[in-house]
Amino acid sequence: MTAAYPAAQGAPAKAAGASAPHLRLAATGAHPDAPVARLTGICKAFGPTRANDGIDLVVAPGEVLGLVGGNGAGKSTLMRILCGVTRADAGSIEIRGISIETDIYDTTLAQTGGIRIVHQELSLCDNLSVAENFFLEAPEGARAAPGWRRLYRERARAALDEVFPGHGIAVDARIGHLQIGQRQMVEIVRAVTAPQVRLVILDEPTSSLGLERSRQLRAFIKARAAAGLSFIFISHKLQEVVDIAHRVLVLRNGRTAWSGPAAQASVAALVNAMGGPTEGAMQGRRAARAGIAEDAVEVVRLSGDIVVPLGRDVVLRAGEVVGLAGLEGSGQRELLHRLFDRPRGGISRKGGASFVSGDRQKEGVFPLWSVLSNIALGRLEGRAPLGLVHERTEREAARGAAEKLKLDPDRFDSPILDLSGGNQQKALVARALVGDAGTILFDDPTRGVDVAAKEDFYALIGQLSRGDGARPGRLVVWHSTEDIEFLECDRVLVFSGGCIVRELVGPEITEQAIVDASFAGAGALERDGTAGARGLADWLVDLAPFASLAAVFALMAWVNPLTVSMFGLELLLGPAIALVLVALAQMFVVGGSEIDLGVGAFAGLVNVLSATLLVDTPWLGVLALVAGVLAYGLIGATIQLRRIPAIVVTLGASFIWIGIGYTLQPTPGGAAPEWLSAAFAWTIAEVPATLILIAVAGLVALAIDRSPLGVVLRGFGNNAQAMTLGGWSPLRYAVVRYMVASLFALAAGLSLTAINTASDVNAGGPFTLISVAAVVMGGCALIGGMISPLGVVAGALTLALVGALLGALSVSTDYNAAVQGCLLLAMLVLRAFAERREARR
Amino acid sequence: MSALLERLERHRWVWSALGVLILWAILSATTGRFSLHSLSGVAVSASFLTLVALGQMLVVTTGRGNIDLSIASVLTLSAYAGIIVAAGADARLPLALVAVVGIGLVTGAVNAVLVVLFRIPAIIATLATGYILATGTLIANRWAAGFSMSPFLKTLAAGRIEGVPVILIIALVAVALVGLLLRRTVYGRRLSAVGQNERAAALAGIHTGRVVASAFLASATLAAVTGMLLGAYVGGAFLEMGQPYLLQSLGAVVLGGSLIFGGSSTALGTLCGAFLLILIVTTMQIAGLPAGTQDIVQGLVVIAVLALAGGRAVSRRRALSPAAQPAEAAKP
Repeated sequence: MTAAYPAAQGAPAKAAGASAPHLRLAATGAHPDAPVARLTGICKAFGPTRANDGIDLVVAPGEVLGLVGGNGAGKSTLMRILCGVTRADAGSIEIRGISIETDIYDTTLAQTGGIRIVHQELSLCDNLSVAENFFLEAPEGARAAPGWRRLYRERARAALDEVFPGHGIAVDARIGHLQIGQRQMVEIVRAVTAPQVRLVILDEPTSSLGLERSRQLRAFIKARAAAGLSFIFISHKLQEVVDIAHRVLVLRNGRTAWSGPAAQASVAALVNAMGGPTEGAMQGRRAARAGIAEDAVEVVRLSGDIVVPLGRDVVLRAGEVVGLAGLEGSGQRELLHRLFDRPRGGISRKGGASFVSGDRQKEGVFPLWSVLSNIALGRLEGRAPLGLVHERTEREAARGAAEKLKLDPDRFDSPILDLSGGNQQKALVARALVGDAGTILFDDPTRGVDVAAKEDFYALIGQLSRGDGARPGRLVVWHSTEDIEFLECDRVLVFSGGCIVRELVGPEITEQAIVDASFAGAGALERDGTAGARGLADWLVDLAPFASLAAVFALMAWVNPLTVSMFGLELLLGPAIALVLVALAQMFVVGGSEIDLGVGAFAGLVNVLSATLLVDTPWLGVLALVAGVLAYGLIGATIQLRRIPAIVVTLGASFIWIGIGYTLQPTPGGAAPEWLSAAFAWTIAEVPATLILIAVAGLVALAIDRSPLGVVLRGFGNNAQAMTLGGWSPLRYAVVRYMVASLFALAAGLSLTAINTASDVNAGGPFTLISVAAVVMGGCALIGGMISPLGVVAGALTLALVGALLGALSVSTDYNAAVQGCLLLAMLVLRAFAERREARR
Repeated sequence: MSALLERLERHRWVWSALGVLILWAILSATTGRFSLHSLSGVAVSASFLTLVALGQMLVVTTGRGNIDLSIASVLTLSAYAGIIVAAGADARLPLALVAVVGIGLVTGAVNAVLVVLFRIPAIIATLATGYILATGTLIANRWAAGFSMSPFLKTLAAGRIEGVPVILIIALVAVALVGLLLRRTVYGRRLSAVGQNERAAALAGIHTGRVVASAFLASATLAAVTGMLLGAYVGGAFLEMGQPYLLQSLGAVVLGGSLIFGGSSTALGTLCGAFLLILIVTTMQIAGLPAGTQDIVQGLVVIAVLALAGGRAVSRRRALSPAAQPAEAAKP
């Protein structure tokens, strides 16, 4: 099994299929004084949107380049091209003086070129520890020997201490247990201290950092830049950019709007170049709106915990535009969602509500539908399920909304994804307009929207809220990540630490006032210095599989005292070895957040192969078994390459396994090869082989899981996108994962042959469900990334004992399947309850 | 040309329909005895499969990889229940129907609760309920003494009107109704929305839980009723009766051109997919392939079709979605 380890050992293996530029980039000191990156004339169009239109970007060694632009200006696309995630349509890329064809430039080349990007949502695996995440960044130092983590633990600790003194982050803590600000710190530190790094792109690095952390980061960037590391610093906080950057590049609608030394830039000049809304214009528009009627209806009332710092209830009325501001993750988004879901717990809302999200991919569009269907969905709310839909009436209603939004009705029949970001957003707003909700909730609605579409949106807000002759006013609640947008609002609620700390009304609303109020309670963001420490509850969950094994065993011993003898143990647990092995196989697949419905059938096929071919013509038998393992690798590759559900593929494969087994041996029979029987029939100090082998299987699985390879596999199970961005090959590890699983299933099939000294292709079938049950009982998460080999062994043994217990209690074997099914479901339901409680906490 | 491709993209059932025609033509030509009459045998088998597959299709449409693996057990148990409760008398048929529909509704409700309320992956929830029902069939197998059929049920399942099998008519009506449901009703829109993007659907005010639950209820109920009819058709019930329908129902849905990731399904396609799959099986039987080989071929067909269709979905996504990529990448 150790043969699988070297796969995780170092960059050369990581960057398989290395091309010539890769080698030249890897060679040190190619062109020491050449720019770290030089992009020239970069163009990229997405459908009708020209996201990048002839942009030039140069970063010299030791330079900090500030990159600014409004939402939708093309910054993200440009950075994705620089990182090799997105391929440019035209232009040229030169990394450290080496020109690289845009066609072959990919994430691996960007990695080798020393380019790292930090944005808080993508690049960490939150099921892994801080130290393990450092390993993913620089796998060169890892060896497949116990204690390999020590190096990364030390590296992580030293790096965190260097950048953020007094960070209070435990390097063994799971990322998922850290707070958002701490995650951002880990992410930044990991990138800037990576061994080969030349250029770090920081995308909004300070969005959830407190004042002190933000200052520490900027001090570190200055020191590192002086030592020759380059940075691209992207931020909405223009003052920070002007302070830290040597040069500034301003983008606007996919083109360079301004570029020059930071010394010549001022916040005002940058705002002007970005072409976005100016304070004056936005305040002017608000002032021009009609006042809110005195007797406007109360729509939303906020009370309870959320308004404690204010000390009074907050009432929102129809016709108002209310902004939710604050540092990211301070509770704005939560309030928005609580207002949309059934409001309760101190929050009340009258009438219906529509939600419009700026995260169109995840929360907005229905990608298979036309623009019209996407809009018309807003009309269906509250209608009877069997009511008929008529395209003509839908078109009429949508046309009205689209006209208000300046969305061309001729595009109604295009697939929604053919539209630019701005027009998609207009369609989503139109969806809210065709309904008749009294409240419209906006969640960062101008994300990735071009300047013109933004203007249309701002202009609409007034009309939307105050209403016109035809319809009464609506309440608009607006969460934004661009503070300047709040100047459009009639009122702004500023959040900090999950509560509303300030209420700004009318002329009080300025960017400075919002920032000041946001930071007022920012200390709370890092209030929990012990974050990441494991609680008692975590230990209990980990121990549950062993406790239940002990309980069932005790029950068994009580029913039949003979159980406790070595003979009794062998009789009871010996046959369970096949189940243990199948469960371990299933575990590795589940670790990748997939499920193998063919694993039992595969064990059955191996059972047949080893009892027939392996006995008659051993070389052919071995060949067939090897072919089986390769076929599993092929299954992994098929699932990964074609992006099809593992369930259906493995279900199909199970028919193939059974078909082959049935063809080879239509009726049960065969014999076990002598060496195989012997392999399961020895004892050490009176402990029978099967029991020792069960322990060995568990330990081997544990060793794999704890090895560098295991960490990579768990990383893929949790955040495949981040792993791919980090230069790891998803295909290779999908194949490795399925082959590791197949080796355990193969061992299971062999053990069946050895123990039964005969074969039956149907023998493995029932193992599929039980293996899933064992994996669940063992404490693995079905969403992937969290596996526990010893727990799975305990779970499998528990299930085997339950079968024996039923037998001892003389319950018919007919009930075995039902009992196993019920156990599995009970386990899952209990876990769902536990998770719900956890989430509430 | 691109307009043609677009039409084909929208009417994905055409592929499976073409497959049926070609395979039938080849069979008729090579064997020379593959007549309209033998096709009606295929039609009967395909009709049973269609009924089950329509339910599976609704579950698949709800997306997130949802699949109903309990249908095999539901079908078998219902076949037993139909026989035991009706006991060969038309008078007891309503009672049998209540029992069978009850099995479907209860199983569907349990599946729905597990999937919607407890957020257990559908594969595991339905796999487990299927196992629990398997115990039920073992017990029912001991009860089922005689295999006498209710005559009326027998007519429904095996009768013919003007030479056309009644079950085929039932299947066609079901296809028409489900097709109408998907394409023309509020429910169909909601189902598709949930399957494409559950989170967006919830934010658009759809009660996603109810929609997903209804699909599981429909799937289990359709499987149950089919089980009763199938029992009447074959004149009895046996333990492995539902087993082939597990992979075949999924195969029919996939062959018919419904997207395995949900959000877009076609009832007509599922009908064609069922015919195609049954034709393939029949061909193998006529060619005298052993049962094991038939299993292998079915498994390969499902994987191959998925691999090809999966590729189509991927390329389509690549061609279109970049319009939205900047938004996806845009960091607040």
